[in-house]
Amino acid sequence: MDWRSFSKLCAFVVAVGAFAPACGKNAVRASEKEFLADRIMRFDSNGQETAADEHVISNREGAAGGKGTGGGGCGCN
Amino acid sequence: MRLQLSGYAAALAGLYIWSHAVAPAVADDRFDFTTTWYQERRRGQKGLTIIHPQLDFGIDGDTVTFGLGYAADIVTGATAAVYSVDATTAATEFDDVRHQGKLLFGFRGSRAVLTFNGGIANERDYLSLSAGATAAIDLPGKNTNLSLSYTHSFDEVCDRDNSEVISTLERRALVGDDPCEKKSGVFGRDTPGMTVWHELSIDTFQATLTQNLSPTLVGQISLFGQVLRGFQANPYRRVRVLGNEPQEVLPEVRGRAAVSLRVNKYLPSLRGAMHGSLRGYSDTWGVNSGTAELAYSQYAGRALLFNFRARIHQQSEAEFFKDAFFYEVEGPARAFFTGDRELAPIRNILAGAKLSYIAAGEDGENVLGLFDEIMVNIKGDLLFLNELPANSLSENRDGIDAQFLTSDQLLDAFVLQFGILAAY
Repeated sequence: MDWRSFSKLCAFVVAVGAFAPACGKNAVRASEKEFLADRIMRFDSNGQETAADEHVISNREGAAGGKGTGGGGCGCN
Repeated sequence: MRLQLSGYAAALAGLYIWSHAVAPAVADDRFDFTTTWYQERRRGQKGLTIIHPQLDFGIDGDTVTFGLGYAADIVTGATAAVYSVDATTAATEFDDVRHQGKLLFGFRGSRAVLTFNGGIANERDYLSLSAGATAAIDLPGKNTNLSLSYTHSFDEVCDRDNSEVISTLERRALVGDDPCEKKSGVFGRDTPGMTVWHELSIDTFQATLTQNLSPTLVGQISLFGQVLRGFQANPYRRVRVLGNEPQEVLPEVRGRAAVSLRVNKYLPSLRGAMHGSLRGYSDTWGVNSGTAELAYSQYAGRALLFNFRARIHQQSEAEFFKDAFFYEVEGPARAFFTGDRELAPIRNILAGAKLSYIAAGEDGENVLGLFDEIMVNIKGDLLFLNELPANSLSENRDGIDAQFLTSDQLLDAFVLQFGILAAY
């Protein structure tokens, strides 16, 4: 993928990011978040395991980084 | 010996190490300990062994969070001193220890978290200071979480003093006996005529949107960007070029970008969840890659949790990377030459499993009289590697089988990990 294609892809991602919040405001009611609150639904719920994985991968592959961020969208604290 | 661990790995750690701390979710004081054993096989040589202990301590108040962390890399094994059609004969053994400390301070609101983190890493020939911040917010409805992270690293790399060298083909590599002196343990001090410290600046940015899509489906899309400026070569590595064996030479600026998409789907009837992710990557050195991962988590009873995963990654070579034979007979690619396997075309496959035991306090009773919850994890990963040709195989008289130490082994490495996570 060249930089021009990648820039288009990034623009698409930004556009999706800009519109998704409005679409998702009422996607799930608070009373429906039981499963979303489960530990297995959280991204990177074990920070040390995630850091160790990235540590290994970044030393084997020249194309590391950008996996994502921990947590979930449950907002149920 | 430089571990090749620092650089952008440290910057990535700034994003990931506290990933569980920045999401506005459950507030708990925590004590986490994990040890990882990474074992890489070497062609006809002693393997590469890395022991990586991590210790983190966190206090999570109603409005303020605080964290301290320590990690180390204890490394022994063989490394290829010269990138050539036969890397085995020039392999050398080494050992080193890298220490890393981390500090986090943050503020928590009902829907938002703002955290600041700093880190310091020290090894014989590499120093790193980093600082960063992450802001995360749950948007109205609490179905959408937006997170922005930025980290800057001020790194220094010890190198042989090549200031009087005219041609890059005359550059001499650092060796284990060369002095790499430091001031106050965190700043490099040159030894004129012998060693110098080069600067490496790393800026890392990440934006992530996490969205609840249904009561059992959550998705995440993430953008990652990084710019590295400064000395990025391995100072020990030499490359056989036109009959010479100079230190490798890489460009001083690298821009990297990645986009990833992840989903988690809960399966209520099975008490399990499917996890999927796709990631695309591109950088200014010409490395492009795609990565796909699929995983499954399954509860068994009240206390056991199994996880299985498979991951495949394939990348193209950097535009200046050549198979060793072609550096030897054709010379550099523009002004550059490298023997870094990370810049070669490769396919990595990972298959792994994890078992977790979860002890949670019930009815107001604590676990062991102190903890709200204790989780014990045991994990194992197998890593398979395919080394692919960067240049025409039909024109490569010596082939690529022996240009890296690991060339003849499909099962390249394994990882074993043990961890205890305690919330109180």
